[in-house]
Amino acid sequence: MKYVLLIAFAAALFAQPQASVARGDKLFAQGCSVGYCHGAGGSAARAQRLRGRSFDRVYLSKVIRDGLPNTAMPAWGDRLTEPDIDALVDYIQSLANASADVPSPVVSGAPAVPQADQAAATPAEYRRGRELFFDPHRADRCAVCHRLGGAGSPVGADLAQSASLKISDGPRAIRYGRARGVRSVVLKDGDKFHGILAEKNGTRYWDLTSLPPVLRGLTSAEIQTVQRQSAWRHRDVVKAYSLEDLQAIWNFVRWLAAKQ
Amino acid sequence: MLRTLLAASLALPAQDGATRADWPHYGGQTSAWRYSALDQVNASNASRLITAWAFQTGETDGGMQVTPIVVDGVMYVTTSKNNVFALDAATGRELWSYRYILPKGFTVFYGPWNRGVAVADGRVFLGTLDNNLIALDSKNGRELWRVNIEDVNQCGCNITAAPLVVKGKVITGVTGGDSAHRGYINAFDAKTGRHLWRFWTIPAPGEKGHETWTGDSWKFGGGSAWMTGSFDADLNLTYWSVGNPAADFWGGNRKGANLYTDSVVALDLDTGKLKWYFQQIPHDVWDFDTAYENVLIDLPVNGQTRKLLVNVNKGGFTFVVDRTNGEFVAGWPLVKNLNWISGVNAKGELQGRNEPVVGKAKIICPSIGGGRSWNQAAWSPKTNLFYSTGIEWCEEVVAVPEQPKEGQVYFGGTFKLTRKVMQGEAGGHLGAYDPISGKRAWLYEYKYPLLASVLATAGDLVFTGDAEGFFFALDARTGRKLWSFQTGSGHRGGPIAYSVNGKQFIATPTGWGSALAGLLPQLWPEAERFRPGSALFVFALPEDTK
Repeated sequence: MKYVLLIAFAAALFAQPQASVARGDKLFAQGCSVGYCHGAGGSAARAQRLRGRSFDRVYLSKVIRDGLPNTAMPAWGDRLTEPDIDALVDYIQSLANASADVPSPVVSGAPAVPQADQAAATPAEYRRGRELFFDPHRADRCAVCHRLGGAGSPVGADLAQSASLKISDGPRAIRYGRARGVRSVVLKDGDKFHGILAEKNGTRYWDLTSLPPVLRGLTSAEIQTVQRQSAWRHRDVVKAYSLEDLQAIWNFVRWLAAKQ
Repeated sequence: MLRTLLAASLALPAQDGATRADWPHYGGQTSAWRYSALDQVNASNASRLITAWAFQTGETDGGMQVTPIVVDGVMYVTTSKNNVFALDAATGRELWSYRYILPKGFTVFYGPWNRGVAVADGRVFLGTLDNNLIALDSKNGRELWRVNIEDVNQCGCNITAAPLVVKGKVITGVTGGDSAHRGYINAFDAKTGRHLWRFWTIPAPGEKGHETWTGDSWKFGGGSAWMTGSFDADLNLTYWSVGNPAADFWGGNRKGANLYTDSVVALDLDTGKLKWYFQQIPHDVWDFDTAYENVLIDLPVNGQTRKLLVNVNKGGFTFVVDRTNGEFVAGWPLVKNLNWISGVNAKGELQGRNEPVVGKAKIICPSIGGGRSWNQAAWSPKTNLFYSTGIEWCEEVVAVPEQPKEGQVYFGGTFKLTRKVMQGEAGGHLGAYDPISGKRAWLYEYKYPLLASVLATAGDLVFTGDAEGFFFALDARTGRKLWSFQTGSGHRGGPIAYSVNGKQFIATPTGWGSALAGLLPQLWPEAERFRPGSALFVFALPEDTK
């Protein structure tokens, strides 16, 4: 009985890496072998060759999990489970003594690599608001001016940090709210625009004439006058949104701001 | 000599795409000929070329893919990661540099490289890896304006091509064709950076062409215009090539022709409105981008001079259309190893499609690397020949059904290069062709792909560089090698010709790198040891040359 158990245990130990290598092979084929990355079977593409090389196990799992900053190697930690990362490490280590001849690519079945999906992490009732806020198909999406949850442009207020979000304001605040910090800028060459100062004591302005806003690197010599009063109104840039849309955006912003 | 050139220029026909003292645009002039009318350096004296100066940029990651711009004796070059240098074009002395600060820790999936700037009216325009379009003061590199076109962390896309600047408008596309992303071309006011128009390469619901997409696929269908457009001043049209649809190898959830992917689009410069389009590859499942340069030439067709547009695509097929209306004129293969189609019919429609299948490897030629890469061809109105590189290679590819996730890689399959080619051996070449019939005048063969752009000059010379670091000149009429110089690293950029105070220079970037350079070791293991670099070499004739 003891022996049977021992054999079964040994068989399980042996089978584990093989199954893991096969799983890693599949993950690698779909996530890592693409033309911009490591190539089929780790045979090299834009990123370095992994085939026929020895790597430290701890190093491999760290790079897969955290990525390599400022390179094309992304962090996979938010989309792969630890067993999947282990499977990839097992597979890449199995390539250390592989021949240079890469087997034909054969991948079948559903994709094995889960991709990071911010939208999926948003509860269903806030998804419409999220979509409107970040919708890349609309030029007037909120994110061309506002940051929220680490995404978007730093032109207007960062809504996650904005103390001005009160329940009592409601979605109408988006339409009729007072625009803080928008000034009227007149340049010596005759150009004029509504703008937001990009940094304290500086002379760079976000020009709001068109979307996306333009960061104008002006010098004081180019500026004729700056007036603190401006005829710019937030409702002009959100006029294409219905009150229903604004409600959805408002709900999403409040949810995400509270979460952070 | 300059006076002679000036006199000659007055006698030339309306469509004059030749450069002279300056090299003002990415493709030479906005007609993308990559042809210089300078002939001080010519077939009889090219063997005497010597280095005038060299410049090291110090940024070797990704190699050097730039095509320099020269305006009024100043050369503007970029490096990977968006640094810009202004140099005295006669001496190489640095006039100013602009160091771009990239946001911390973001992933540059499409690679760190940059292919150059556009220059006009005292401003230098640069597209960045995080999708900013930036204007610099050409005198000192001071940043005049910047506009963020799309959040890089959301779209997974970036700008690597040189913008096009004409008549006070700066126009740029974006990468992202292998991601779940919807492509576009934007125009901005050159003086203020204000947005003027946007052309979506994939029509939205309710727009014409939207019916060529199923479900939500239009939102994630790729179609990136990732190279530089052309412009015809007489027609006031700007021509852009739109790349492949995503997912690359699997089209199961985007049934239909997938307009305007793999199309040449003609846009009104003032409004961005579509004047006409010609789709080369309806429902592409090979990643065979129609993404490269649009060469604008006027040539007789059946006895009548027509305004033409010549475009080579990644599938290694050349399409010639009438650039006033998009009518198909001719089509011809640039490479021998081509099996994804059997050809085109009299209307330019693809025949005998050979598509990747799900779950089973299939040999497709050329490989995803292309029957030619994005490095541009050249057209010489003097020899009436079109000079293009080509690559003979094949791949084993398998399609995999995949669901899109915004901004994430969306390939729909996987591939590996294979030695099993249909004809001859895998390798590269540079050929001289009749641009309409494809009839070949000569072919220069090379054991690796040639990945640098081609320069043609009125001196009956054709210049390009190879993977092993040789920059060389061929006789434009025979293809015979007249001169070569070892620059110390492989070539992936665009050589140019220009002159300062009557003295002609030939300049080439050198510096091995790029997605394709990285792919080469799959067929040629020794290519893994080809060293990167990032420098400019500039050549001229010795002072005593007669």
